[in-house]
Amino acid sequence: MATVGKVIKCKAAVAWEPNKPLVIEEIEVAPPEANEVRIKIVATAVCHTDLYRLFEDTGAAGFPTVLGHEAAGIVESIGPGVTEIKPGDKVIPLFIRQCRECRFCKSPKTNQCVAAWASTGNAAMAPPKSSFTCKGKRLNQFTGTSTFAEYTVVNELAVAKIDPDAPLDKVCLIGCGICTGYGAAVNTAKVEPGSTCAVFGLGAVGLAAVMGCHAAGAKRIIAVDINPDKFEKAKVFGATDFVNPKDHNKPISEVLSEMTDGGVDFSLECAGSVAVMRSALESCIQGWGVSVIVGWTNLEDVSARPIQMISGRTWKGSVFGGFKGRDDVPSMVKAYMDKKLKLDEFITHNLPLEQINDAIEMMKNGKCIRTVLNISTE
Amino acid sequence: MATAGKVIKCKAAVAWEPNKPLVIEEIEVAPPEANEIRIKVVATGVCHTDLYHMFEGMHKDGFPVVLGHEGAGIVESTGPGVTEFQVGDTVIPLFISQCRECRFCKSPKTNQCEKGWVADSYDVMSAAESRFTCKGKKLLQFMGTSTFSEYTVVNQIAVAKIDPAAPLDKVCLLGCGVCTGFGAAVNTAKVEPGSTCAVFGLGAVGLAAVMGCHNAGAKKIIAIDINPDKFEKAKVFGATDFVNPKDHNKPISEVLAEMTNGGVDFSLECVGSVAVMRSALESCIKGWGVSVIVGWTDMYDFAAKPIQLIAGRTWKGSVFGGFKSKDGVPEMVKAYLNKKVKLDEFVTHNMTLAQVNDAIELMKHGKCIRTVLSVSQQ
Repeated sequence: MATVGKVIKCKAAVAWEPNKPLVIEEIEVAPPEANEVRIKIVATAVCHTDLYRLFEDTGAAGFPTVLGHEAAGIVESIGPGVTEIKPGDKVIPLFIRQCRECRFCKSPKTNQCVAAWASTGNAAMAPPKSSFTCKGKRLNQFTGTSTFAEYTVVNELAVAKIDPDAPLDKVCLIGCGICTGYGAAVNTAKVEPGSTCAVFGLGAVGLAAVMGCHAAGAKRIIAVDINPDKFEKAKVFGATDFVNPKDHNKPISEVLSEMTDGGVDFSLECAGSVAVMRSALESCIQGWGVSVIVGWTNLEDVSARPIQMISGRTWKGSVFGGFKGRDDVPSMVKAYMDKKLKLDEFITHNLPLEQINDAIEMMKNGKCIRTVLNISTE
Repeated sequence: MATAGKVIKCKAAVAWEPNKPLVIEEIEVAPPEANEIRIKVVATGVCHTDLYHMFEGMHKDGFPVVLGHEGAGIVESTGPGVTEFQVGDTVIPLFISQCRECRFCKSPKTNQCEKGWVADSYDVMSAAESRFTCKGKKLLQFMGTSTFSEYTVVNQIAVAKIDPAAPLDKVCLLGCGVCTGFGAAVNTAKVEPGSTCAVFGLGAVGLAAVMGCHNAGAKKIIAIDINPDKFEKAKVFGATDFVNPKDHNKPISEVLAEMTNGGVDFSLECVGSVAVMRSALESCIKGWGVSVIVGWTDMYDFAAKPIQLIAGRTWKGSVFGGFKSKDGVPEMVKAYLNKKVKLDEFVTHNMTLAQVNDAIELMKHGKCIRTVLSVSQQ
């Protein structure tokens, strides 16, 4: 490829400061260094965590940055030492690495590779190194991925090689939302056949959690959201009951407890709200109920009464649905190709990169599930 | 027995109001009704939860009450329908029932039988009905057991039949503290061989948790207490390291993370303090750390940042160490008789029922582990 070894000048949506629209700029993307891979992004979707960074946890460090972490593309070039990936491969960049060597990678219990920035609660949500500059300034690479750009550079430990036949404008969703929700149900909660589940929050992550509960054989999946427009799609993914907390005068945990003779077996919080996290825990049955925190926020404490735990509930959480990225993302792509996993049904809009601010506005106003930005042709 | 079918007048330590010394009174104990057993209490331990009710919880509807829930005795008489027990059986009354019929009893995942007082009134810490009166007033039976009395009446679903060779002035401790701590490690945390554990709080429950970690094969057991006098006994039960948070300028979770290359595999909170519960969670390693809330309090929320759980830690809790009570207690008695479980080492003082207020004072000032009160002759 003519660009190999050279800086690429390309388009990207730059977040210069928090709480402002992104600006389409020409940026410089350095060639991949040792153990890095430069990827031409074909499609990327907007995930709520991108908005969280832009509008909520704006933090002291972190701007200017290029957001985006849910994408698929084609390898343009590789740096020295990269052996498993080659130019032309279809790949999904991963916001959580899998080095395969650290004690976390070697443990079947977790996907939290020691190299992952996520578990350190890093305020900037970015690794220290960046390959991006613009107008003479260094741009942070959000979660090490920065997929709102025509090209990005990612460490090879954060690249999953996928089936070359996979449609990139669909499987990009596997880069975050779908794995996060589906895995939370299947890997973290470990939903059991015949069980009763509750999913709080019906964005893409919540819908994927519903899908995961269904795939795990749950008998009853209660979809909870304060926006009743979301129920129709939840049904598509397998939800059996639909509750809007605003329709009731009593706490949602009481409503769910009455519906389920004491509480649900598994609950998943997919909203990123500490109040909902508490409700989700309290909606679980005593004795064996398990509640999983899926939605991302790190601004406030989550809290509850000790009796909730002492009476036998378990509180868990996960990132990226507990999936080990390099191993499991290709399997999830395959599951989609084998029609065992739905993806198309998440996509409500398609836009070019230039209209990213419209995509963000839609998500802010709850008017979409997933908007896929078509950045380049394959 | 001559007393069968009749009201028994006997001695008991009555808590007429919160925050006041107990008063040795003559009380009336009615005969057992259907499915009930009247027990002559031979020995009882004083547990911190008795003090919690008197001095911290102080629920206005929880008095007057006869405290005590860690006892052992002999069956004096049985009510209609009792087939499992006979006069003269050695028994331990249980503050958590095991009906063997409800869905919780039928599940291997929990011991939280829904028949006892816990389900209805964990705040008042006793059932509404009682067989005790004194000076014309009804006295509540604390946690359904009331072992600070020469006689008590308990439903047979909350009585464990134990080996007649067992010394009641030792095995009474299995009525609460030792099972609570030991089980929290073995049943709830499910401590694994070769793992690293941290136990916060070295009262009887904490020491029993240390013992449980040791029996489960933990390689390193860090015993934590702000009273360094407690370390010596923790060593007896298998602790390998000893940390006093007051010796350090940084948070205890940081101290422990440094000692253990990132955090412990299992932590157990055996104090009943929400601040310590938070520290115990934060002391766990990301990815697979498990923290168990063992200590009892229902006055405040416990809290943490969501990232703690999202990064892979699990928060659990249990009551009575997760032991199904009627099945588990006789097993633990057997384990003691087979020298697999220590009990004698918990007993620091022996007194009579009449000296119960002295025992309470000792515990208030951290000057004892377990005081066993001799209540009746065997």
